[in-house]
Amino acid sequence: MSENDKLPQPSQLPSDKSIWWSLSRSEIDLLVIATAFKALLFSAYRSTDFEVHRNWLAITYSLPISQWYYDTTSEWTLDYPPFFALFEKIMSIPAALVDENIVKVNNLNYDAWSVIAFQRTSVILTEVALGVALLRFTRAPSATSQQRTLAASLFFHPGFLIIDHVHFQYNGFMFGLLVYSIFMAHEGRKLASGVFFAILLNFKHIYMYLAPAYFVWLLRAYCMTPSGAIQPKNFVVLANAVIAIFLVSLGPFILMGQLPQLLSRLFPFTRGLNHAYWAPNAWALLTVADRVLLQVVRSAKLSVSLNHMGVASTSRGLVGDTVFAVVPNIKPSYTFVITVALQALFLIKLWRLPSYRSFVTALTLCGYVSFMFGWHVHEKAILLVLVPLSLVASESYAHFRTFVIASVSGIFSLFPLLFTPTEAGVELLYTLMWGVALIPIHRQLYQFPTSAPTVILEVVENAYLAGFIFLQVFVTLFPIFTRGTSLEFLPLMITSVYCALGQVLAFLRLSALYLQQVAEQA
Amino acid sequence: MKAYAVPTAVAASFLVKWCIGLGSYSGQGTPPMYGDYEAQRHWMELTIHLPPRKWYTYDLQYWGLDYPPLTAYVSWICGQVGALVNPAWVALDSSRGIETPESKLFMRSTVMFFDTLIYVPALYYFIKTWQDSRSSRTQHVALLILLLQPALLLIDNGHFQYNSVMLGLTLFALSSFAKGQDLVGAAFFVLSLGFKQMALYYAPAIGTYLLGKCIYLGPVHGTRLFVRLAAVTTLTFALLFAPFLPPFAPVSGILDPLSRIFPFNRGLFEDKVANFWCLTNVAIKWKQLFAGREHILVRASAAFTILGFAPAVAGLAWGAYKTRLSLVAAESAPAVQQEKEKEEGRGGGSVLADKRTQTALLPLLPYALLTSAMSFFLFSFQVHEKTILLPLMPLMLLLSGASHGGEVWAWGVLGANVGAFSMWPLLKRDGLGMEYMATLAIWNRLVGFSPLSPKLDSFVGILSFAAHTGMFALHFLELIFAAPARYPDLFPVLNVLLSAPVFGLIWIWSIKRGIQVGWALGGLGPSAISTPSNSVGGGGGGSVGGDIDGMPGQTSPVIGSLRRDAGVRTTSMSSTMGRTERKRRTSTRAESVGL
Repeated sequence: MSENDKLPQPSQLPSDKSIWWSLSRSEIDLLVIATAFKALLFSAYRSTDFEVHRNWLAITYSLPISQWYYDTTSEWTLDYPPFFALFEKIMSIPAALVDENIVKVNNLNYDAWSVIAFQRTSVILTEVALGVALLRFTRAPSATSQQRTLAASLFFHPGFLIIDHVHFQYNGFMFGLLVYSIFMAHEGRKLASGVFFAILLNFKHIYMYLAPAYFVWLLRAYCMTPSGAIQPKNFVVLANAVIAIFLVSLGPFILMGQLPQLLSRLFPFTRGLNHAYWAPNAWALLTVADRVLLQVVRSAKLSVSLNHMGVASTSRGLVGDTVFAVVPNIKPSYTFVITVALQALFLIKLWRLPSYRSFVTALTLCGYVSFMFGWHVHEKAILLVLVPLSLVASESYAHFRTFVIASVSGIFSLFPLLFTPTEAGVELLYTLMWGVALIPIHRQLYQFPTSAPTVILEVVENAYLAGFIFLQVFVTLFPIFTRGTSLEFLPLMITSVYCALGQVLAFLRLSALYLQQVAEQA
Repeated sequence: MKAYAVPTAVAASFLVKWCIGLGSYSGQGTPPMYGDYEAQRHWMELTIHLPPRKWYTYDLQYWGLDYPPLTAYVSWICGQVGALVNPAWVALDSSRGIETPESKLFMRSTVMFFDTLIYVPALYYFIKTWQDSRSSRTQHVALLILLLQPALLLIDNGHFQYNSVMLGLTLFALSSFAKGQDLVGAAFFVLSLGFKQMALYYAPAIGTYLLGKCIYLGPVHGTRLFVRLAAVTTLTFALLFAPFLPPFAPVSGILDPLSRIFPFNRGLFEDKVANFWCLTNVAIKWKQLFAGREHILVRASAAFTILGFAPAVAGLAWGAYKTRLSLVAAESAPAVQQEKEKEEGRGGGSVLADKRTQTALLPLLPYALLTSAMSFFLFSFQVHEKTILLPLMPLMLLLSGASHGGEVWAWGVLGANVGAFSMWPLLKRDGLGMEYMATLAIWNRLVGFSPLSPKLDSFVGILSFAAHTGMFALHFLELIFAAPARYPDLFPVLNVLLSAPVFGLIWIWSIKRGIQVGWALGGLGPSAISTPSNSVGGGGGGSVGGDIDGMPGQTSPVIGSLRRDAGVRTTSMSSTMGRTERKRRTSTRAESVGL
């Protein structure tokens, strides 16, 4: 192959006049190769989420709508909002044509090649939504080359590969809606942005983590003039649009009197503070601090009143509700108050500075606060932070560095989702290659630290990032030498805590950057 | 980014191979015999539990060892490691048919390990020796194309075999030849033969190349090289077979491995293979026709095979003889000799002249390998569909050095795609359909080929269009219709009807190209011989890979060589100096090898 064929020719680059969806040759290359690679993962490990989604295909296809939120044939009951149920209903029609056994409610744990191929293919195809949204970002005339690369990198994000294409979920599709909504904000089309987000909320309610930022921004930037005067017409239009969307989604169930049942499915308040495997957030650090304190109390024989349930809980390992021994127990209301208070801090700044950049940063921080301090947070929720963060990562070197720390610790915290050795190799190698593709941005944005504290910070951060090499070696080798002992939880715990440190660091960095940004503008 | 290019390319290929390995393998879940995967695993179990003398005789009905000793040694290493981790994976007899996820991971890892240990460095070394003067970016693309060749990936990492070890050893031999290290090369090739006897497909070409080199070097140096080659070859073979030879075993001990490695008592062909015999079998039922007289068929297939690779052998021998003749002419022509000596500023004796011309025959070698291997595939007996990997290897080497869209490129892409397609019935049986589609898609994007935009301006363009249309049509038909009960083998037969003619045409094309390249070698005259790396440079800037491709398909090679011949004579002083530099380097290299 000659040299010229691989270099993008000037004529191949999309000109401003060409339509945004016309792809250059190298973009098609990337798309085909990435899709083919995902097809290679068809045979890979799949979690119970695969059967969850198969069951939902069956429920929505075979049962009347009045039964959707009541059926308990499978333990994996429908617990996503109605638009997602509708999404499954639409997909169940081709599924029934491919193999009618897929959509039988009683056909639990069906794992024929047909259902694997069908569901895996549906993930790849619906992920096009994400590709379209990101493509619009790369085609924006104002986009810098770093922004284009970062947008493209989101389409190939290891998080999606791990969670969607191996573990099995439809995040690519739903983050496509989110990114499209953010793109609408970028274009100044605030009503469309709000509408897309309202639709997204009715697909998966976890995006409520981000809702406060949308609410404040739309209220300030869309329903009010820059000077602060209220625009009643805009307010009514927005309110009507959002109400209409929710009526379309929830209306049928309200009419059938099923709203309480639906909500009880969406919000099961019966779970513990931590997920079975702790998400790398503040509570993971607190949990481990409690255990350390317990050891200290015991060895020093201090007269501190211990919670005996907590003592029993800590020795039980990771499963179940978390009860602390030394530290006071955390109740759902505490997490709620902390989350709201911290979000308010950023939302006030957003109110004062309702620009697009400020909005995306506030959105990221809203997600971050929920992730750090929310009740029963799952490690997969880190994508709620990483995706919007990617869109502002090239603002400055400080932003990019925050993005690197958040991404490395966030993606690493997803690794335990794939615990089979073969798939663990895939995710590690893929992530490394994805990271190599982002190295040029680091070079272009890099700035030497100028003051003593920033030099120290950089050294500490570099040491932290290098630590992941040792962490990976440890979690690979440790199980080999301790097979069959009670220490099997240790690699998971250390991973969670180490990643949590990075998340706290990235969260603090981004908060400082955002609050500074506001100060400068004011 | 340059520093990351090669590691990233290797990592990418590793990732693709690893992901293919997620899929099923040959004979998965099909007791009692299973498939190639179980055969390889069984040999690990065999070699670690039994003394070498029993390796080729133990329970032959259940996957008796029928590869040469190097395979057995590699199996022994794998078996030892496996037994260290979990002895149950390779327990004698009781481990037969073991299919746990852990043992599969272990087996897949062994393929990846030897692939990464031997084949990947072999490809890198090949690019560095054969295509060194190309731009680093072109080299990286070439490396990636070679690393991700779909047919090999699917067989080794999907179906389950260790072909990359055999191919890698042959590749090391080729790179050694390009460096002028013929003895090292010969040893590598013997190792390749000692891993899998299929490397014999290359033997006529490599043997003749080395003989040609001896002819070329003249009576004194040629004979010396010949004796050394004979010694190295014999010694390497002896070392490989040492456990089956005296004093470790009685003289008859060697018969066990030999009779297993060369089974002359099987039929002409098994299953459906896209070769001459299976193709013509549609019209002429060879087996019925010669029932009871199979020896005639065996002889016929041997004769056809020899006729098939004869052009390659003749081409190499003729090329050696021709270049030798012109060299003699050059030495006897005092004017030219003096001119040369002036250029170099030193008295170039005939010995020096010999040594610096070591790569004169080299551009012929890939074509000769292709002709020879394809001839074996088409005409010899007991061919498996998987052995198409052997002709594909030199074809891919040519493709990797070719410029995009050219003749060599078009034949290379066609060969790779039809090669993978010809194994479709096997891959389908193994449950590797998705892997087949995915790897072909990835590789075709990498080489920049799209069947949707055919180029119909040349014979190969039209052939490629027809073949790709046919392949798509056959896949589509197979998807829609089941084979009729009367003809259960309909689709495999149609596959043979499409693939075999394409392979035949690739064989003919390789002969034609061999003649073209050989002609250019012989027709260049003395000055070209003193500057072999410049003589057929074309756009390739003097690399051997560029030379091969630089032979313009459209222009007559004679005119091309004449033009270049004139160019050499009228070069400016500075470029002559530069060339002299290069010649010096070459000669030092030759001396350091100690020819």
